[in-house]
Amino acid sequence: MSNPVKTVKVTVDNQVIEAPEGATLLQAMLDAGLDIPHYCYHPKLSIDGSCRLCQVKIDGMPKLQISCNTQVRDGMVVHVADPEVEMTRKGVLELLLLNHPLDCPICDKAGECWLQNFSMRFGARHARTIDTRRKRGKRLDIGEQILLDQERCILCRRCVRFCREISKSNELFIFGNGDQSVLDIYDQRLDNDYSMNVADVCPVGALETKDFHHRMRVWFLEDTASVCPSCSNGCNIMISSARGKIWRLTPRRNDAVNDTWMCDAGRLNYKFVGDPARLRAPMVAGEGGPAEAGWDEALKRAAGAIADFVKRNGARTLGAIASPHLTNEENFRFGEMLRAIGAGRIAMAVPRGRQDDLLIKAEKAANARGVRELGLVSGEDDGLEAMLRACEADEIRGLYVCGGDLLEIGQKERVDAILGKLDLLIVQDLTMRPRHGRAAVTLPATTFAEKEGTFTNHAGRVQRIGRAIATPPGWRTDGEIFTALMNELSDRTEQFELAAVWAAMTRDGSRFAGVAFDSIGPEGAPVAGA
Amino acid sequence: MATFSSANPWIAILKGLWVSIRHFFGNLGLFLRGRQDFAIHFPEQRLVQPPALRGMPVLAQMADGKERCVACGLCEWACPTSCITIYPAETADEVERYPEIFDIDMSRCMFCGLCEEACPEEAIIMSRQIEIASYSRRGSLWHKADLLVPVNQLKTRTDYLRRNYER
Ligand code: SF4
Ligand code: SF4
Ligand code: SF4
Ligand code: SF4
Ligand code: FES
Repeated sequence: MSNPVKTVKVTVDNQVIEAPEGATLLQAMLDAGLDIPHYCYHPKLSIDGSCRLCQVKIDGMPKLQISCNTQVRDGMVVHVADPEVEMTRKGVLELLLLNHPLDCPICDKAGECWLQNFSMRFGARHARTIDTRRKRGKRLDIGEQILLDQERCILCRRCVRFCREISKSNELFIFGNGDQSVLDIYDQRLDNDYSMNVADVCPVGALETKDFHHRMRVWFLEDTASVCPSCSNGCNIMISSARGKIWRLTPRRNDAVNDTWMCDAGRLNYKFVGDPARLRAPMVAGEGGPAEAGWDEALKRAAGAIADFVKRNGARTLGAIASPHLTNEENFRFGEMLRAIGAGRIAMAVPRGRQDDLLIKAEKAANARGVRELGLVSGEDDGLEAMLRACEADEIRGLYVCGGDLLEIGQKERVDAILGKLDLLIVQDLTMRPRHGRAAVTLPATTFAEKEGTFTNHAGRVQRIGRAIATPPGWRTDGEIFTALMNELSDRTEQFELAAVWAAMTRDGSRFAGVAFDSIGPEGAPVAGA
Repeated sequence: MATFSSANPWIAILKGLWVSIRHFFGNLGLFLRGRQDFAIHFPEQRLVQPPALRGMPVLAQMADGKERCVACGLCEWACPTSCITIYPAETADEVERYPEIFDIDMSRCMFCGLCEEACPEEAIIMSRQIEIASYSRRGSLWHKADLLVPVNQLKTRTDYLRRNYER
C-alpha cells in the first residue's frame, strides 16, 4: 500500500495506453480494450508462449515479439495494425487449422470457440491444403466429467498448466514433439475437484464436460450473472439458461473470490432447480393428508394457524429455523415477521461437508454468514442445540421451518421426535419430504436461480444473485411469503421490494450499514468489518 | 438480382407494374379473341414448377435410413420465424450427434429457405412438396419421422443448390 505501483505509458498504433509497471504487454493491451488474438495466455496461469498468435512489432526489436511474455516499458512503441503482424497471425492460424477437423457442427464449443472467432477475424478465409488431415483420438473418456478430442486440440497447454498450477494434480501432459505432439493423460485419470475448469480454459472444443456434451448450442443460451449457491465461498458464476431451463453453470471472474474457477460439485449442482419433484403449489393439511391449495388460501391458513397457536400457547413458544439458502433480504424480512409475531427463538441449521484450501468451504450453503450478520442467530452452532433442547423441554411448541436442512444435520431420530410432537409446524421447502407430512401448511420455496437478491459469503462479501428462470404466474418467492404473512398477522401493507428492504436493512447499527444497494457491483462489496 | 438493384425506386415500381399491365392486356386480348377460362383447375391440372421452387423444408435421409442432420442448430438459429425445434443427443456413430427431436411448425414456416442455406451438411432441403394443409394445428407440427425424405428424391433441389450457391 505504501508504495503505489508506478504506471508506464506505451504507444500502440498511435494510441497511448497506461499500464502498471511490470505488467505484460498483452494484458496491458487487453485491459485497454484492444482486440489482440491469443490462445495460450491466461491471466490466472503461468506464461507459456507456445501459441505465437499474440506477436506484435516493437520499435527497436529486430523481430516480432510475443506480447504475452514482454513486459511493458515506459515509452515503448508497439505496432499491431501492421502488415507483418497481420501476415504472421494469418500464418499461425493457418498452421493451427492445418490438421483441425471440421467438427464445428458437432462441437460443443462452436459459437464461443476462440479458433472460430480468431480465424474469422484474423485468419485467411480459405484452406490451401490438399493433404488428408491427421487422425487422432476422439471422445476419449479421460475423467469422471471430461471428454478429450485430440484432433481439436491446438496444444496451447492451458489445461496442462491448470492441472499443474491450480488443481496441483498433474493429470494432463503433451506427449511427442513437433506435429506428432498430442495431449493425453498418463498414469491417472483427470479426476479432481476442479477438473471441469479445463473445459473453460480450453480455447477450443478439445476438452468438453460430459454434463454439457451435445445438449444445447451456446448461441441459444442466455447468461445471467449470479453466485454459486452450493457453499459459503460464493464463487461468481454465469447461469446459462434457455427454454426455461438451466443448461450449465460456468465460473465468472472475480479476483477477490474465485479468480476464474469453480469446483465441479458447485458446477453440477443446478439440477434441483428443474427437478420435477419440486413443490408446484402450497400444500395444506386436510382430512386425508396434505392437499394442494391456492397461494392465497394457503397463506391465509398459515397466518390463521400461527395466530391460533399464539393465542393458545403464547408467542414465546413459537420457534423458527432460518435458512442459510435464502438471501439477505429474505432473511431480514423473516426476522421482521418473527418480531411482529413475537416469536421466542431462532436458530439455523447449516449443512456441512468437506473443505479444501482452494475454494471449497465446509458450509454447504451460500448465505450462512448473512443470517449471522443480520443478527438473527448467534452462538457456535447458530443456536441449534439450544433450540432442539427447548423443543424437547416443551418450551418451544411450534416451529416455522425454512428449508430442509434440519433434516440433514445427522440427528434424524431426535429431529423426528421433535417434529412429531409439535403443536404447530409450518414448512417452506423445495420438495415435499415425508417428514413435512405433519405440517399445517407447506409452502414451496424458490431457488437461487428464480429470484434476485444478495448473499453474504464466508468472508463477508455481499454479492448479487440474478434471476435466470421465470416462476409460474401467481408464484410467491420466499420473501413475498414472509411479507404476506407479516402483513396478515400485524395489519401492515408492506411490499417485498428489494431496494426498500435493503434500505431498511442497512439502517444505523446494522452490520450492513454503509453499503448502498446500487454500490454492489458485479464483484460484490464487503460488509463492514469484513 | 439486377432487377432489384435499380437506384431509382420509381423505376423499380414501374417495372413491377409493367408485369401486371402486360398480363392485363395480354389476357384482355385472349378474352376478346374468345377465351373464357383463365384458371388452372387444381388439383386435376397442375403447373410445371421451376427447379428453383421452395416447397416445405424436409430432412435428407441417407441410404441407411438415418438422417443426415447432426443437430448443429444452425437452421434453428437462422430461421426467422423460429419454427424449428431441435433437441440433440449423442450417438455411437462417427458423427457423434443426431437430432433426438426435430420439429418444424409448418403453420409458421414461410418457405424462405434460410434453414437450407445455413445447413453445413446439406441435411435440410426445400422439397417440392407444397400440399401440406391439415385439419388441425397439431397436424401442422411435423416431427422428424414425417420430415425424412430419401436423398435421391431431393435431387432436383440439391442439383439446383450446388449449381447456384457457393458451397
Ligand atoms: S486441450 Fe485445449 S487447453 Fe489443453 S492444450 Fe489442447 S487446446 Fe489447449
Ligand atoms: S467452491 Fe463453493 S461456491 Fe465455489 S463453486 Fe464450489 S460449491 Fe460453489
Ligand atoms: S424455410 Fe424459413 S421459415 Fe421455414 S423452417 Fe426454413 S428458415 Fe424457417
Ligand atoms: S443446420 Fe442442418 S445439420 Fe444443422 S441442425 Fe439444421 S438440418 Fe441439422
Ligand atoms: S498468447 Fe502469447 S504466445 Fe500464446
